[in-house]
Amino acid sequence: MIGCYVTGILPRPDELIEKTRAYDRGRITEKELEENFSKYTDIVIEAQASLNLSFVTDGMLRWQDLLRPFVENLVGASVGSLARWFNNNTFYRKPVITEPLERSGEIVKKVTYVEKLPKNRQWKIILPAPYTFATLSENRYYKDENELMFSYAKILNEEIKSLAESGFSYIQLSDPALTYDPFKSGIDKDTLSFIEDSLKLAVRGLKVKTCLQTFFGDFSKILPEALDFPVTHLGIDIYETNIEEVKTYDFGKGVCLGLVDARSSLLEKVEELVGVAEKIIDSIYPSKINDVFIAPNCDLEFLPWKRAFEKMKLTREITGKLEEKFLE
Amino acid sequence: MNKLFPTQEIGSLSKPKWRVKAYRGNPLSEEEITEALNWGRKLGISDLEKFAEILREKNSPKRRKAILEWSAKYAIKLFETAGLNILYDGEQWRSEMYEHVIRRTAGFEFLGYVKSFDYRYFRKAACVEKPKYSKSFYLEEFVFTKKNTERVVKVPFTGPYTLVDWTFNEYYERKLVDKIKDFKLRKFEARREFIFDLIKEVLRTEIKKLVDAGAKWIQIDEPAVTTNPTDEEMKLFVEAFNELVKGFNCRFSLHNCYSNYAVLAKYVCDLKNCSQLSIEFANRDSRDLGTEDYVRKGYGDLKIFEEEGYNGDYGLGVIDVHTNFIEPPELVRDRILYAVKIVKDPVRIYASTDCGLRTRSWDISFKKLQSLVSGAELARKVLS
Repeated sequence: MIGCYVTGILPRPDELIEKTRAYDRGRITEKELEENFSKYTDIVIEAQASLNLSFVTDGMLRWQDLLRPFVENLVGASVGSLARWFNNNTFYRKPVITEPLERSGEIVKKVTYVEKLPKNRQWKIILPAPYTFATLSENRYYKDENELMFSYAKILNEEIKSLAESGFSYIQLSDPALTYDPFKSGIDKDTLSFIEDSLKLAVRGLKVKTCLQTFFGDFSKILPEALDFPVTHLGIDIYETNIEEVKTYDFGKGVCLGLVDARSSLLEKVEELVGVAEKIIDSIYPSKINDVFIAPNCDLEFLPWKRAFEKMKLTREITGKLEEKFLE
Repeated sequence: MNKLFPTQEIGSLSKPKWRVKAYRGNPLSEEEITEALNWGRKLGISDLEKFAEILREKNSPKRRKAILEWSAKYAIKLFETAGLNILYDGEQWRSEMYEHVIRRTAGFEFLGYVKSFDYRYFRKAACVEKPKYSKSFYLEEFVFTKKNTERVVKVPFTGPYTLVDWTFNEYYERKLVDKIKDFKLRKFEARREFIFDLIKEVLRTEIKKLVDAGAKWIQIDEPAVTTNPTDEEMKLFVEAFNELVKGFNCRFSLHNCYSNYAVLAKYVCDLKNCSQLSIEFANRDSRDLGTEDYVRKGYGDLKIFEEEGYNGDYGLGVIDVHTNFIEPPELVRDRILYAVKIVKDPVRIYASTDCGLRTRSWDISFKKLQSLVSGAELARKVLS
């Protein structure tokens, strides 16, 4: 199929931002804040549904960062100091791991408005991938990063199963750390092999579609190994990736093309992006096209809500053009 | 400076309630007026009767201007009373370091808030046309500061790399759409063109006005420098800094904080006309006394700068601006003395706050600055 969706946390609409600021300053209660999160979640879900996105999320408006729900709810982890979110002027709180990680109950459902997701649509959930979780944590317990990664992957598997049972049919594992490589040191084959094993653990026994979404870095650097990762789709940040290199591979699985730049407010030319997508699709699927999803390259929360919505519209428009071409 | 370890601040001081409310045009309560006057008496400020009248006046452009001037006068006096050798006006005329400049420069449009972290956001603008100098953004405050102090004046100046990094780059990205097909290269080149246009069309014009008006020391604030720590980006930053300060008869320094110093250290030697590197260290350090390596962990990165061959001065952050903990003078002393052990030449050390004090109350800021001054004095005594 050719479809589209968002790939991360959506920006809070301006009015909700005002409410969160008011809460932060003690001017409104937690109950009022919660009412507003609920109200604006309806709005961002409706925005996705109105554009007929293939899978909808609840917008993740309550997520302070990608890792926070896990850090706040896992036994053995606590919220640490602020750290830069890759090469952005945005920050996350470091997970500090001081004891064996343990899942004592639902994690993501605590911050997800499952009941608000439309019954006539397919649902998507976005979670931190094992490698990114382990890399961004301050590990004070496990003997090394790999041990932490596997421990988290096991928990992730329980979490995903629970989410799948609740009706989520598409699981995105966000893995920016896998490709972010400012010093061009590269990632070695042993590490890629451990990552593959951790993903196997994370998706074991699942029947839903899964996507390993990379961003902020060059996806071509993890080829060809990534083609063997145990996920249904692979996500590529077009703005950071050597596309010519990607085009030299024959993909045996689906892709999510991060074609719309979520870190730039400029609205792209549809025809240009359609052209780029066509060439990639023709190259990586020389005989038969697999699943192709068009998406923003990363979280849209780097933009104000109104511009983010414009980018979502753009995503839909590009998808429509590609559907016309490839599904005729 | 004739004595060792001159003391300095980085720029901002919080804005007192009376400054914020009165500048917005809101009336002040008697309690707020009393607080303003009490601070005035504490700082030995004259003409407080006149100030009280202004505080009670109705909102008008004249009153708003007067509020800015009094607020700056207070901040200058606070720094002087604490005993600092090098100072500015607590950035009382500025909303904050980014917005203040962008709002006064043509070619930008604010798009709205984007998340910084948790429930903190910042207003982000897009560059929609070629930036153009519209009106001065620092000159008036500088002239006022210079007139109101005999101490050394250091002007905090938001740098081009940071202004560009914190802005959406619509104009230049659009311009290159049909010229560069590779997305990554297009974005980089668009960024590059944006930076150098901003320097040429806007920032150098402002520096010239400051220098012509008598500025002797301008501190280029570049908190965004290591956000994107690639070699290309760091070289772009160096090139931008050098282009910005080129040819001016003025002393320049660089302020950076909460960054990756291992990356920064590799490039600082390439900065021309950068006499001081003022960086945050106290935030990374323990509060224990002592000058041993294991105690002064926060200052270990000084070694990296030295190993890379940096031989300029340091604005050594010895006061953490993100906590209300008042550093005892002995702790300040030990941090300075530890730095001397590494740098070897004490003349290269200026005692400084980590960053601006805008998140602390005036009461806390004042106490912290007094400790900074006392600690520097203790360090001088040890070396004498």
